[in-house]
Amino acid sequence: MIICRCEDVTLEDVERAIEEGCRDLESLRKRLRIGMGPCQGRTCIPILIRILARKLGVKPQDLGYPAPRPPLTPTRCSVLRGEHDEEG
Amino acid sequence: MKKADAVVIGGGVSGLFTALELAKRGAGKVVVVEEGYLGCGSTLRCATGIRASFTSVEHVELMKRSIQLWKEYSKALGFRYRQGGYLWLASEPETVELFRELSKFHNSLGVPTRIIDADEIKELVPCMSVDREVKGLFDPIAGKADPFGVVYALARECRRLGVEIHDHTKALRLAAKDSKVVGVETSKGFIEAPVAVVAAGYGTRELLKTVGVDVPLEPVPHYALITERLGRAFDPLVIDWDAPGVPYIVQTLEGNLLMGAGVTEEPSTDTSLPREFLFLALRSWSKRFPWLSCVNVLRSWPGFYVCTPDKHPIYGPVGSVEGVYVAAGYSGHGFMMGPVTGEVIASWILDGKPEPRIAERLTIDRFEKGELVREKAIVG
Repeated sequence: MIICRCEDVTLEDVERAIEEGCRDLESLRKRLRIGMGPCQGRTCIPILIRILARKLGVKPQDLGYPAPRPPLTPTRCSVLRGEHDEEG
Repeated sequence: MKKADAVVIGGGVSGLFTALELAKRGAGKVVVVEEGYLGCGSTLRCATGIRASFTSVEHVELMKRSIQLWKEYSKALGFRYRQGGYLWLASEPETVELFRELSKFHNSLGVPTRIIDADEIKELVPCMSVDREVKGLFDPIAGKADPFGVVYALARECRRLGVEIHDHTKALRLAAKDSKVVGVETSKGFIEAPVAVVAAGYGTRELLKTVGVDVPLEPVPHYALITERLGRAFDPLVIDWDAPGVPYIVQTLEGNLLMGAGVTEEPSTDTSLPREFLFLALRSWSKRFPWLSCVNVLRSWPGFYVCTPDKHPIYGPVGSVEGVYVAAGYSGHGFMMGPVTGEVIASWILDGKPEPRIAERLTIDRFEKGELVREKAIVG
């Protein structure tokens, strides 16, 4: 079962990484690159939170959420560098 | 209470390489404590570059050894490392002169950097536009590694050799008796040990205060951004020396473009991202790579150069408290120095002197004696 489509991470990958000792969202994210692709975790991180919460026997809300990183949604370089300022 | 032969404080690249070297050399029970997750301090925020083309003998010699170890470790542990080179661009005649001087210095120490012209720059980075008069300083033995792969390969190998790694465990203070370290108090209990290695980035400062040692470390914020993955476009890490903020760009081994530029040199612990960072990095590189316009930026993040007054790390015993060793203050170069850091600290602990020997010049007492080392090229 695929958990993260951008980075092609399966449920089996997640379970193995948890077994290896990645017991928090940031470690799992870095170990598997889950949530590091174009969707920036919108789809996979909520699923990951549920899997990890169940494995650790804690409430999903106790696991927090990975640090948000701007620009939050994939954004063209041309928009971020503000070329309209220069040309307009 | 737990007992160990050595406690390593800090689960980043410095601490993990040190723990691995200690374990390989039969140092007994080694325990690593990390306050967050492995690599969360500076290691996983870094720009991935690895080079020996520095401007001090100390950095060059240590990094030559580190590069040798990067090659060996990447094969032995199976993480990705590639010698794609470093390329510094010079648009101003004075910069070209500076690069010539640097290249002479590098060559005298066996680092084969050379000055190249626009044609050769084009060959190395075909997708970049440069004017005819631009020259480059090229370091062919420099390279890059995948920090995520490195951290988890190290952790796996450490555990295989019997090292205990405790993440989410904060070292609160060092405990000393009769000027000797006796253990480390952590958020999860006391660990008794006759040796403590403090490789805790800026946290090193607070920790060493608990045994009366003041380490001159200051965190200077830096920022990086990363784009979506592209096909393999170019290998060298490129630094535009004469552009505002001295920006760099590198294609990571995953294929993403990672860019950075200096916004400030003022020490601060502020982790918020200044608005001007994205403009600064992207405007510079959009001129050199016009096709960047249609590439998406995924993330940007802060990290800190933990700086010492002479921009060189502090290595070795603290002197006043026996058994306490420092490995911190890389001033932006901790990732690339990781392998040699492990060798330096482990040999110092086990043999009483560091290997390579030149690390002896980087002990903390140099600040009291006024024997500072000078370094000019603090980029990437």
